Order: sequence, then C-alpha cells, then structure tokens
Amino acid sequence: MTDTRKRILIIDDAALVRSYYRAALEAHDFRVEEALNGLEGLEKLLSQSFDLAIVDVNMPRMDGITFLKALRSKELPLSSLPVLVTSTEAGPQDMAAARSAGANYYLVKPIKQETLAEYAAIFCGSHP
Amino acid sequence: MADPPPLTTEEFSRLVEFLYRRTGMVFTEAKRYYVERRIAERMAAMSSPSFADYFVHLRGEERKEVEELINAFTVNETYFYREDYQLACLTTDLLDARVKTKRPGDAIRIWSAPCSTGEEPYSIAIWLLENWKDVDAYEIEIVGSDIDTDALEAAAEGIFGRRALMRLSPDLIARYFHQLDDERWQILDDLRQSVSFSRVNLIDTRQTRAQGGFDVIFCRNVLIYFDDESRRVAAENLYDNLLPGGFICLGHTESMSRISPLFEICRYSDAIVYRKPLELSA
Repeated sequence: MTDTRKRILIIDDAALVRSYYRAALEAHDFRVEEALNGLEGLEKLLSQSFDLAIVDVNMPRMDGITFLKALRSKELPLSSLPVLVTSTEAGPQDMAAARSAGANYYLVKPIKQETLAEYAAIFCGSHP
Repeated sequence: MADPPPLTTEEFSRLVEFLYRRTGMVFTEAKRYYVERRIAERMAAMSSPSFADYFVHLRGEERKEVEELINAFTVNETYFYREDYQLACLTTDLLDARVKTKRPGDAIRIWSAPCSTGEEPYSIAIWLLENWKDVDAYEIEIVGSDIDTDALEAAAEGIFGRRALMRLSPDLIARYFHQLDDERWQILDDLRQSVSFSRVNLIDTRQTRAQGGFDVIFCRNVLIYFDDESRRVAAENLYDNLLPGGFICLGHTESMSRISPLFEICRYSDAIVYRKPLELSA
C-alpha cells in the first residue's frame, strides 16, 4: 500500500526544535524529514518530493533566506514548493525580507504545536 | 567472584587518600567492603598480584588506569524523571525568570553535572519539549558532564533499559525512544544531538571554567560524596559557572546553605533552589 501522507521537510539547526516540530506534525499524521541547514535542505528537496518545507532563518552554512532564494531559482515544480518560514525575529523588515525571498508565510517563534500543524495542513492542502 | 583481597590499614588509607585527591570523594573504613570489591576488579583487570603492584600503576600516573579506577568508584544508578518536581520548577519558574534577561533567539544554557549515563540531561530535554511553551524560541544548549568516561560514552549512545525508563509513561517512551529489543530502548537522534557531553571533575577549577556560564545547573546527589573542603571548592566552581541570576538545583537531601554562603535561597512552589545574586555585592 502506498503512503498517502503529506511529506514535510523541517530545516532547523536546533535538534530540540526539530524534535518539537516533528512531534507536532506527526501527531497530525504528516510524514516528517529533517535537515540541519539550508544546504542540506536543498539537497533533500532535490532527491525526494515534499509537500511543504518549514525553514528557520538563522542557521549556519546556509540561512533560511539564502535557501529560499536558491529554491525559487530552481526549475518547476521544485521552485513552487510552499515554504513556511519560522523565526524568533518579529520585526516587519525581517518578515519583508522573507516575503521578498519567496516565503509563503512567516511564523514568529515560539509557535504552538497546534498552530504549526494547522498551517502545515493549510499549505499541504489537507485542511478540512 | 573470589573474595576481595583484604587491604592493610595503611594500603586502605593510601588508596582512599589517592581517590580523595583525584575526585573529592571520601571513603571511610565503614566503606571498606565497597572499596575492596572495586579494587579487586581493577587488580584482576590489570593482572596485579598484590595491591602494592597495582598501586604502582596509579602512582606512575598511568592515565588510563587512573580513569578506570575513578570509573569503578562512581555511582551510576539513576533513571529518567528522577526528582521531577525540580523539572516542574524549571519550566514553571526558573526559565521564565531567566528569559526576562534575554531576547528570543538568545542562548539558554543548562548543565547537568554529574550526568552519569545521560538520564538527567535527556530528561531535561524531554521535559522541555513536553512542558515549556518557549522551547523553540531560544537556543537551548544542554550540557552533560561527568568524571566517569564510561558513563559519558554510554550517555552519548543513549541506550537505556527498563529500569531507567520506569518513571516515563508508555506514550513518552513511544514518542522519544525506539525499541532495540525486549530490554533496550535508544533515545531518538534529535534528542541525542540536543545534549553535548564532556568530562569534568567538579573540584578541578580549570575543567569547570572551560564549560562557560550557565542559566541553570542541576548538581544532584554528588556533593554528599565529598568532604567539607571538596564541597566548598565544588560550590565555588559551580558559582563561577553560573551567570548572574542563574539557578542551581541540588538533590532533595542536600543544602547549599551548609556549604557556602554565596547563594541566595529561592523558594518556589515546586522546589527550593539556589541562585547566584544578580547584583554582586562588593
């Protein structure tokens, strides 16, 4: 039987945060993969298909904004993958930077587990 | 195993003096059987025919054997969510007090010392995931330190038996561990990666300093093994390792007031903890 669950890639350098988001999403029946930075995130997106990426902004090696710009410059359909940006920065300039890099939405940390699962469902098209 | 070789009074005191200088732990005549059993293990491992022969290895500062000896004398009996009222205190009071001095995205550093085979630092990680709403809003760094290198190796591997997990609900075990066989569970990779481990002797100021400043330190059930002098040195080292306003949690039978006047006592609904004052008086 094929697995019909929606697939989400979490890109965050903090292991505890990945674990927290994974728990939130798995409780709502999403399949979760993880990457530790933007570079590893791109690599995973090139080799597997996903329905959504959730990406942190501040990360070593490749930050979330650089990741977004790189992703949006790829070919379709990869470049059109929905991306939810998460960050502790709540300033309008931070949100504007993410938007102009190609973010579909921006959530400020701390993020409640239910909130994350709800936005995931919206962007994966599985929201009731 | 054969009966341990009886040590002469002089051999016994040379050995406990050596252990004391290296670890701060005090073993009296009352602990003779415990000491002799462990020495018998080490002598067998080194094929030493006599205590005098074995002691040459220690006196010669053979690093490996000194380490093995210390490992044999440390107590690594613990379990997940032990004294969890302090974990409750961590998330209801201590972290909220700490983040008042911080911005989202800043580091929060928590030290488990001694951490034994990892139950305590991993308990902290799981507890935070389950109980702290701001867990993704700060750069949480959990460090586990111990003097026992075997324990640290086991901690990094993160494999636990039924007894270590006895206080965790089946739901928590299912979500944070994967089962290896009937008797062993390994903690998930993300949790293993969320804790870093280092070898630290609490009475070695050079080693404790290298760990940097912490917001909260869990130092439970180790000071009871020290004598007054080592206890005072350890308390001063821990004090240096706390950021101003940082907290230290001791075991429930321990009291910092008897050891050092440096700390303020804080009574919260879940626990009594000690704090390094925010404003240092001259």
